[in-house]
Amino acid sequence: MDLDTLLSFEWGAMAPEFIILGVATILSIVDLFAPKHLDRKIFGWIGFAGILLALASLINLVGLGPVSILYDTFRLDGFAKAFKILLLIGAALVMLLALSYKPKEGMEEYKGEFYYLLLAGLLGAMMMASSGDLITLFVGLELLSLSSYILAGIRKKHLPSNESAMKYVVNGGIATAFTLFGMSYVYGLTGTTNLIEMTNVLPNLANAQYIYILGIAFFMIFVGLSFKLATAPFHMWAPDVYQGAPTPVTAFLSVVSKTAGFVILIRILLTVFGNAFAGNSGVAAMTNFLVGMQDYIAFLAAATMIIGNVVALRQRNIKRVFAYSSIAHAGYLLVAVTAMSSFMFDALWFYLGAYLFMNVGAFAVIQLLTQHTDNEDIGVFAGLYKRAPWLAVAMGVFILSLAGIPGTAGFIGKLNIFIGALASEPAHYVLASVMIATTVISYFYYFGVLTQMFFRPAAEDEGEGGKIRVPVGLSIALVICVVATIVFGLFPNIALDFFHTNFEGFADFLQ
Amino acid sequence: MTFSGELLAFLCLALVAVIGGVLLLNLTKVVHMVVALVFTFISLAGIYVLLSAEFVAVVQVLIYSGAITIIMLFGIMLTRHNDTSEPKGGALKKIFLFLGVLGFGVAVYIGIYNLDFNPQATTLHENNTEQIGMALYSKYIIPFELTSVLLLVALIGAIILAKNDNKKEADKE
Repeated sequence: MDLDTLLSFEWGAMAPEFIILGVATILSIVDLFAPKHLDRKIFGWIGFAGILLALASLINLVGLGPVSILYDTFRLDGFAKAFKILLLIGAALVMLLALSYKPKEGMEEYKGEFYYLLLAGLLGAMMMASSGDLITLFVGLELLSLSSYILAGIRKKHLPSNESAMKYVVNGGIATAFTLFGMSYVYGLTGTTNLIEMTNVLPNLANAQYIYILGIAFFMIFVGLSFKLATAPFHMWAPDVYQGAPTPVTAFLSVVSKTAGFVILIRILLTVFGNAFAGNSGVAAMTNFLVGMQDYIAFLAAATMIIGNVVALRQRNIKRVFAYSSIAHAGYLLVAVTAMSSFMFDALWFYLGAYLFMNVGAFAVIQLLTQHTDNEDIGVFAGLYKRAPWLAVAMGVFILSLAGIPGTAGFIGKLNIFIGALASEPAHYVLASVMIATTVISYFYYFGVLTQMFFRPAAEDEGEGGKIRVPVGLSIALVICVVATIVFGLFPNIALDFFHTNFEGFADFLQ
Repeated sequence: MTFSGELLAFLCLALVAVIGGVLLLNLTKVVHMVVALVFTFISLAGIYVLLSAEFVAVVQVLIYSGAITIIMLFGIMLTRHNDTSEPKGGALKKIFLFLGVLGFGVAVYIGIYNLDFNPQATTLHENNTEQIGMALYSKYIIPFELTSVLLLVALIGAIILAKNDNKKEADKE
């Protein structure tokens, strides 16, 4: 390959990735040579600006048709664009949270590293969203995982942080092994790592033996990726890691990492295993294969919703409550994946977007209340309405949205998924009823937080220290999250219309 | 399946690899575990040679049996080198684990024991290394470059986690 061929590709389509990579590299070099006393907070603002710039360049690319560089190792289609927008917004909000993060024992020495590791993780997540090749997808997955492992353990003097990083690495290693094992079988069967080529090869392999192996491969890939989603059977790490990791990192894991997990899952599921779904090859055995797998995903979705919501009832630590709540939300999203209705993409995209705003907002409030004392008991919310009324109202909005009360974005998201489960053929009545039942269960723990904020008196020893000062970065993030949660709850069509006009239901998914 | 020298070689190598893995789990001294691991690595390299993937075989010996093992030994020497792992778990747990592993093994075996692929590629051994290089630096240049970012992240992470950050010592320097 000579230089002309190399330059003939549309590298402009990769502009958002190049921006993130460039900012991360520059920050790491500047960090090395900058004087020790320089406040590394400026890095955070540069990183934030970089993410916004990448977002702007991505929105600039929205009108572009599907671009494929070097045999699909990078591809920019509607699917990639839609989800990369979510990833970038999520990462920008998390960056704002990180800017205002001041743990008790101080983290000045690693502030700089914190920001560019966050950017590196974001780069991995973006590559996971826009590639049509198993190798790139896997490298992106590992880049995200590796950055997250380090971020989780970056508070070196804080024992729970060390524990959480260790647990995350061990569990992540096992999950990666599962994923890679499954991928290797798919590669062995089809002889290619390119997802689209696989779609063309697989219909020729429709005999019982191959389908059996494909089943094993599917099972392994799904189990491995369920680690990133924090769904059953790989959810056990979530409470410990969420609790121990610094709060901005927890927000990153529960929003950006989860979104990236769903993106890679859908990409592999629908292109490799779902060619019957796309309707371009009606091999009967293949269709049976996917329907059989559907029952399995449905079972996992139900198990995830039940485990997440029921165990959350017993938690006293606020970050553990939100860890189980995040497991439960992954379960709701799996319902959409199971149903595979015609508007699965809309439902998933909208729900992930709504979840992004409400969850980052909730973590912003949690960070503000818990960082000074390291006290993460649910009691820190006691009397918040008296101490800081606006903060309490904001948190109230997020909680209502997470619970799925009408008038918030969370409600619309849940409604979309619910209708999708009933509208698909065959309708998933059991799954839909499990979803309703577990949502009702979730009201108990969500409203427990509300009771603390509005009806409980504040603890006495905080008499004069009750004043809460909200840092600039955090207040920007809070305002954005509150506004988005309410606006998308009242006028969901703003988001859905944008989605339909610009991405045309991902018609270019398999091109 | 006919009996051939290739099959015999494969059986020996596979047996050594599996025994190495089992020993790794059952031995109690860390240094012995590393030695067991080396057996697995080297026999895997032998299997790669049988599959005419010479380059991968050489890399396997260099990186895994060489570099990684040495780093592990260094790690063991610099920390508690007489460490032994405590026996863990009850008998019931062990039985369940064994059944799980057995079940998985059977499930995979059912899938592969009678697998019949279409005619295999026969040119894999010709200029093996060159072919890999061509693919890596042209077709797969994007994941290749992304891997370098991955390594950078791993490097920075290792420095963050391992650096001795005693403030006073840092000021003395």
